Amino acid sequence: MKDQFEKIAAYVKKHVKADDYNLRISAKDSHETRFAQNAITQHIAGANIDIDLEVAFADKTGRCSINQTDETALSNMIRSAEDMAILNQPDPEYVESAVKQDYPKVQNTSEATLKLAPEQMVEIVKKSIANGETRQATVSGMTEKHSIQIFNSAKNGFEGYHELTEFDHSMTMKKDHIETKVSFSGKDFAAFDLDQEIEQLNEQFTSLGNQQSFEACKIPVILRPAALAEFFWFMMWMMNRRQSDEGLTAFTDQIGKKFMGDKFSLMSTFTIPELVAAPYSWDTIVSEETYWVKNGVVENMPCPRYWAKLKNLKPAAPFNVYVPGGNTTEEEMMKMVPKGLIVNRFWYIRPVDMKAGELTGMTRDGVLYFEDGKVKHAVNNLRFNEIPHDVTRRLLALGKSVLCDSSVMVPTVLVDNFNFVDTTTF
Amino acid sequence: MKYLDIAMDAARSLGADYADIRIQKTTDQVIYLHNLSLKNTSTDITDGYGIRVFKDGAWGFAHCNKFSDDQVAATVKKAMDIARLSAQVKKGAGLTLAAERSYIASYQTPVKCDPFQLSLKEKVDLMLEVNRMMLNYEGTKQAVFYLLMHKDEKLFASTLGTRLDITTQFIDPMITATAVVNGDSQSRTFDEGGRATGWEWISELDLAEKAKQIAEEALIKVKAESLKEEKRRTLILDPNHLGLTMHESVGHATELDRVLGWEADFAGISFATPEKLGNYKYGSDIVNFVGDNTLCEGLASAGFDDDGVPNQRWFIIKDGILNEYGSTRDTAPQIGLVHSRGCSRATYYFNQPINRIPNLYLLPGKEELTPAQLIADTEEGVYIQGRGSFSIDQHRVNFQFGGDFFWEIKNGKLHRPLKKILYKSCNPEFWNSCDAICDERFWRPFGVVNCGKGQPSQTGRMTHGAAPARFRNIRVGGSQ
Repeated sequence: MKDQFEKIAAYVKKHVKADDYNLRISAKDSHETRFAQNAITQHIAGANIDIDLEVAFADKTGRCSINQTDETALSNMIRSAEDMAILNQPDPEYVESAVKQDYPKVQNTSEATLKLAPEQMVEIVKKSIANGETRQATVSGMTEKHSIQIFNSAKNGFEGYHELTEFDHSMTMKKDHIETKVSFSGKDFAAFDLDQEIEQLNEQFTSLGNQQSFEACKIPVILRPAALAEFFWFMMWMMNRRQSDEGLTAFTDQIGKKFMGDKFSLMSTFTIPELVAAPYSWDTIVSEETYWVKNGVVENMPCPRYWAKLKNLKPAAPFNVYVPGGNTTEEEMMKMVPKGLIVNRFWYIRPVDMKAGELTGMTRDGVLYFEDGKVKHAVNNLRFNEIPHDVTRRLLALGKSVLCDSSVMVPTVLVDNFNFVDTTTF
Repeated sequence: MKYLDIAMDAARSLGADYADIRIQKTTDQVIYLHNLSLKNTSTDITDGYGIRVFKDGAWGFAHCNKFSDDQVAATVKKAMDIARLSAQVKKGAGLTLAAERSYIASYQTPVKCDPFQLSLKEKVDLMLEVNRMMLNYEGTKQAVFYLLMHKDEKLFASTLGTRLDITTQFIDPMITATAVVNGDSQSRTFDEGGRATGWEWISELDLAEKAKQIAEEALIKVKAESLKEEKRRTLILDPNHLGLTMHESVGHATELDRVLGWEADFAGISFATPEKLGNYKYGSDIVNFVGDNTLCEGLASAGFDDDGVPNQRWFIIKDGILNEYGSTRDTAPQIGLVHSRGCSRATYYFNQPINRIPNLYLLPGKEELTPAQLIADTEEGVYIQGRGSFSIDQHRVNFQFGGDFFWEIKNGKLHRPLKKILYKSCNPEFWNSCDAICDERFWRPFGVVNCGKGQPSQTGRMTHGAAPARFRNIRVGGSQ
């Protein structure tokens, strides 16, 4: 694939007349098996390519992307981007393309994932459904594999290429009021253990049998990794250096200050082999080992290239999300507070107030009530309105960090006074 | 085009029970202006074909971006191989497809002035003027104009003999002003969603005037107070707010694939299950929701859906009672329906079509009623315009919505502007609390161009609509 990309890059280099350009190519080959209610409902396979060219005449820019690789299509792409740039107005925030740079060597692919055959994926689905059927339950989910190649080439010298693989399998098991889910997402199919996933699913399923109604209140909560990952993803999205400097977010003037809780750190890292780590961003910002938050202090924020140039800062982009954990087990957490809830997963999180950093969302796939160090029963789902950076100040304990997504690794945490504001009927 | 015949002949010779091919070229032009800086001016073209094969009660779908006789034939074979694999994991005899006849037809979105043919300069000049207008106000920290122009050119053929030539397009302008004053930041947006029409709509909108209004209202909003405690209040909701509320609490809840549990792993299921058809009091007697893919300028109006089923109009909620769902050829038979309602749509050529919300709207009130009369008739309450924060549970029961601009109503008048307002409600409480809807003169459409659903995720498009409506006894309060 890299040869084909280099051929496209050579064509673009030869034919572009603009003063500057950025060429980005990504190719993806996927197989996706979707099942619901104990049957396959969708089954998709195919490959695609995206060739994206951004050009500039002085500070006037234009961009065109296509998914055809023949010379006629490439020629049309160049002409379209250049025509657009010529006709465009100057961009006062234009930044020239990146120069040649070294970038970290990464290993984001897996032979096991590449070799995984569609027939094996269907066997995984069959086994997942068979487990549900033994409980007279329905199972729905998705089994998918992807192989991705990314290539960059810029007029000023930046050149880059990297590859990644991904294997995902999810299972939602439902019977009457019981509904719960487990999911695996990682670069390496060899790290996937279906029996272990099924065991965890069955454990969650069994724990939800006795459900009682529960009113919304402020209460200690154990957030399992899948819940925490989505919650903190939104906080990371709001941690933008420019928006913060312009006064639009809660992080305004917080660089270098202890804005979050002592127990909380947030990184992008190359040190965890299971985590996919892109060597550079879409905008050709070279990835570096970065603490965004270290022991509560905001050390850095993602910073686009224009803002970095204007403010004499270093551009920065997150290339994965890692929250270092601790050693507290869920059983130990339950003993640290008189009572509380355990949340498997959140759903439909959305910002409520960007300036305050406030989010809303629902629990999903199982909520358990515990008291005196033991799980008592399951409860109905709840709505929360919470501020993630404030939640970090109320962290009481952290468990071991686990892979939630190919590029996200976070722990189970115990949070005091989590703000649940409403209930639903199930 | 010869590839249609090659694909259908290959599918038949391989023994497909049914097959279709959708050759689809999608063109997007995006102009994104942020504080007078053109952050993105681009044309994106995605061109290829997706082939569905139905065999022994199961689907296989393969896609390809390479156009040649051999590639088309190979893609058909791949889809067939996948369908055979799928058929290993089915319930009973597997899926069945609702009856449909063949059609030879074409459809084109009615457009007077094609924005793709308009010069870039004309578009950017307008956008810069609008951007400057907003930045002229002291306190405006961020001015954004996002303009999306989208076109889909599709050729469809099926083994039923159907041949369709469909070109649809829409345009979507959105402008936002963000004010930063006294340590707070609040934004105000003009956004009616996309509309299946041409530049003539942009010309009618007078966006320069809208920009002034948006900038001024952002400044009013940032200095406004919030409501402290949450309590039961009366709400009056504008059409450009109600669009999203109905999308989440009615549209998704009445997609038949969700009702059947097909989205259980990700997007979720629905409380509005089949035994409730014809008897469930979803809303008050004045609440009538219509699914209408024949709607003029509707984003889901395309002549036919991606199953080759013609666009239709039907009641989803009639006189407050759950009446019917939005369905596809593979979901309709699951509850004994003979025909599909034509809600099968895919986003790009490489997406397998899924059951989508149709154009769905609340019918206006039958009695003459203006928004001014509605406010005058309201002792105390909150009036909400525009869309803000939105979140709903995965069964489509409990929800919380914000908005974009808020007024407190006291003694039948707009008393003072507010900010950071949220309301919480659930089905069926919310739509049963609707006690007044303005008449048809005040009905407005609201387009949704980015409805996320499916695995892999797709972004669907549909148009909603309403006249301003009143809801009693809803929990309304300020955010934290």
